[in-house]
Amino acid sequence: MGKVISTLVTVVVAVSASAVLWIGANLLFNQARDHWSRFSALAWGAVGFFVGLLLSGNRVTLASEGGFVNWVWLPLVLALVTAGIGVALSAIDGASQRLTLALVASALIGIGIGLLIRPEVQPGVDLSAVAIWLAIGLAIGGGIQTLRRAPIETGLLYGAVIGWLLGYWGGADLGAGSMATAVVGALVPAVVLGVRIGRSPNLTTVQRTVLEQKSRSWIFLGPAMLFIFAALVVPAIRTIYLSLLDRTSQSWVGLDNYQAIFANTNSWNISNWSNMFGSTLFYIGAILVMLALIVGLQQRRQTGKMVELGGPSAGPLIVGGLLLTFAAFTALRGTIINNLWWVVTVTFASTAIGLAVAVLADGARLERVAKSIIFMPMAISLVGASVIWRFMYVTRDSSLEQTGVMNAVWVGLGRLSTGSGIPTILVGVLIAAVLAGIGTILARNLVRREWARLILPGLAFFLVGWFLWRYLGAGIGGQRPNPVTGEIQANPIAFVQEGPFNNFWLMVILIWIQTGFAMVILSAAIRAVPEEFIEAARVDGATQSQIFWRIILPQISTTIGVVVTTLIVLVMKVYDIVKVVTNGNFGTQVLANDMFNTAFISRETGRGAALAVLILVSVLPVMYLNIRRMQEDR
Amino acid sequence: MSELTKASGTTAVRADDPLAPKQHAQTAGGTGRRIYSLLRGIPSWMLWVLVVIWSLPTVGLAVNSLRARDAQRRTGWWKVSPDELTLANYETVLSASGTASLTDSLLNSFAIAIPATIIPIAIAAFAAYAFAWIDFKGRYWLFIFTVSLLAIPLQVALIPLLQLWVSGAHLTIPFIDKTITLVPDFDLAGTTTAVWLTHAGFALPFAIFLLHNYISQLPRDLFEAARIDGAGHFVTFWRLVLPLSIPVLAAFAIFQFLWTWNDYLVANTMAGANPNAIPTTIRIANLAGDFGRNEHLLPAAAFVQAFVPIVVFFALQRYFVRGILAGSVKG
Repeated sequence: MGKVISTLVTVVVAVSASAVLWIGANLLFNQARDHWSRFSALAWGAVGFFVGLLLSGNRVTLASEGGFVNWVWLPLVLALVTAGIGVALSAIDGASQRLTLALVASALIGIGIGLLIRPEVQPGVDLSAVAIWLAIGLAIGGGIQTLRRAPIETGLLYGAVIGWLLGYWGGADLGAGSMATAVVGALVPAVVLGVRIGRSPNLTTVQRTVLEQKSRSWIFLGPAMLFIFAALVVPAIRTIYLSLLDRTSQSWVGLDNYQAIFANTNSWNISNWSNMFGSTLFYIGAILVMLALIVGLQQRRQTGKMVELGGPSAGPLIVGGLLLTFAAFTALRGTIINNLWWVVTVTFASTAIGLAVAVLADGARLERVAKSIIFMPMAISLVGASVIWRFMYVTRDSSLEQTGVMNAVWVGLGRLSTGSGIPTILVGVLIAAVLAGIGTILARNLVRREWARLILPGLAFFLVGWFLWRYLGAGIGGQRPNPVTGEIQANPIAFVQEGPFNNFWLMVILIWIQTGFAMVILSAAIRAVPEEFIEAARVDGATQSQIFWRIILPQISTTIGVVVTTLIVLVMKVYDIVKVVTNGNFGTQVLANDMFNTAFISRETGRGAALAVLILVSVLPVMYLNIRRMQEDR
Repeated sequence: MSELTKASGTTAVRADDPLAPKQHAQTAGGTGRRIYSLLRGIPSWMLWVLVVIWSLPTVGLAVNSLRARDAQRRTGWWKVSPDELTLANYETVLSASGTASLTDSLLNSFAIAIPATIIPIAIAAFAAYAFAWIDFKGRYWLFIFTVSLLAIPLQVALIPLLQLWVSGAHLTIPFIDKTITLVPDFDLAGTTTAVWLTHAGFALPFAIFLLHNYISQLPRDLFEAARIDGAGHFVTFWRLVLPLSIPVLAAFAIFQFLWTWNDYLVANTMAGANPNAIPTTIRIANLAGDFGRNEHLLPAAAFVQAFVPIVVFFALQRYFVRGILAGSVKG
């Protein structure tokens, strides 16, 4: 219960403090036009407060150590003093009087601060450093103003102040000085600023109105920009910097961390590339791609295009390409390869299945129920989904009953294929019926002499036929005879442990989640295709599939692009699933999990940062595309 | 003509809610009608096969969460018998203490998700208003810059942010070797505060993008009228924009709540080392880690964790979908 209360208190304090600051800033600038002296008092008071905060926050002044009161008195006193000066300045319009007042006041403040500096930080001045930094400050300040074609003297003044602070205080041996050096160090910048303030006249009513208007963009954007820079931009830059340092961020090592990543066979191992040619996937994929090319060449003679959406060469090309990438990714191993494999598989499968569901469900009965069920995994955490699928993939000893669905089905099919009861016959008939269905399609295309449309049904026919042949004959593998006793026993698959395809079973989890995302967006895009286009095509005698490939798909291609890019970014960062299911063991490591383990468990900051930068680099093209799209939208 | 306008009118309305059923224009065929309906049946069968496959894992887990340890280990969930159902797993998981208790981590999840939802909404609403309706120099490029951060992987910010929570931020000025403290050490590492502060920062690009899409589409006349009446930006924002943006604020709130409730990476980085500050996701991952011992409690724990998001999801699905759509498709 105490925990609930303390949490609530923290939240309320944080929210109300930010609200007070923000509304206060708005109310402050509301005064600028009509209540100039009030505005001056508040604004100058705030400036004084922040200067005081900076001083006592860095423990530069006397009595700033210790409790809250010690810490806050200087900011408050300074705020009162500067507020008073602000009121006085707003009331006086004469140029020389303003200058005198500002000079006197700033000198007093400078001396006061100088006297308050703790002995430990009184600077032992190095005059050459002061000279160098002063020169740099003047040059930069003057240069910026020259480039902006603005009066040069303002830049010189500010440059002098910053150069003085850096050279006098930064270049000094702190603690070696005396009260006098401290007073000089504070007095000079204070007086220079005093000159700057005293020389500028009071704002006219028009200028005040402009100030009031312009301040709004700062007030409204300020908090967001502060958060974005503090939480994203600056940390990202710092990560890039850290990735160039060694494991404890002590010394500069250049690109060594990146080299180490690519030299490590765990993250990048392409030495077994020739294994690719030993896999069946590769040969089926190669044959499909070759057939697609032949068909494409043939087709180009007629239509002028090699590949066309919905054309006969597109399907075999896509399937063949996928099989080839799978063959490649099972031969090349390592963290980076795994990430690429994840991106290809999850992005393609989620988009394709999502599109299929969106099309199939469009106008179906109980459409809403079907879509909700497909969509629901989006609400479940990735950790929860991983737990759910771990139970799907459970592998138990062959002497025990399988309690995971996947293995139960696999072992069950194996049992049926080696048995001879009525269920065995029923399943056999079912497979034969599917085979017959595919055969019908094959026969129809054969009769119509659509040779190109034989490729994919032919492949399906071959696979199902092979499956039926094994089912009727040698058995499909879910059960096998014990080599010693000859007794038939279960032969389960260790989905999580058996590489390299355990990677694929992990990807299934993310596909299960992200399909709903793709479906929702694509479904909305399909809805937005003007009904007139479809009607017109129908009147012209287009078939259902022609309407889909030639009209709906081109219309929603931009949206598909959005889905694909969003998914790529998301999949590139995949972490939770691998962490919970395998923690990167069994050859399933991915970049994000590797980065976490390296940076936060092995505490190798440099390598961890380098891995994070790799993830960033891999999504840069997507960021570029996003920016381009934004600019086109405008 | 009237039919045409009606048709386009309904599409426009429904594009807002893609989960709503859509009536198909009847394509009446005289002769081949029966064959056609049979063929049309195949896709819908495929749809339902997919739906069954998609719901199977969750259903299995739900059934198993109601079975005792021995039953779970003896047979698959599909062989459940009514008399072995029990709530014992849920009682263990929801008990106030114990090795497998989730109650503390549930509180932590709320302590993270609620502020991580409220604070970015407020901040992003200001910024979205500024980008949409305040003229200032560099507005376009600043907006493009903000939105381009949408795709930044948050891994890239984790190490420095953890260092910030552990020891504050210090700037060492180059060539002088003096260090200035920019942010003092508030000792936030291993607290829920560090987690929600991080979430609040990461959420902003998306929040600004989403809210800007909506706020910039509000009718210009409203703002002109307000200006003529003498209302400044502050009043316009407070009295006009906020009340009108309730739908998109709700959409983002749901999105962000689900995201922070379900997050694992940020929480594990910022608070994973402190058992008193971890949210439910880490608790469950830890339960899953010590294999065997608490395996039978995992289904119940996963359901307790998913209970809040699923309720939010089904109750406010419309807003959630709108958030996803607005976030991905410009419109």
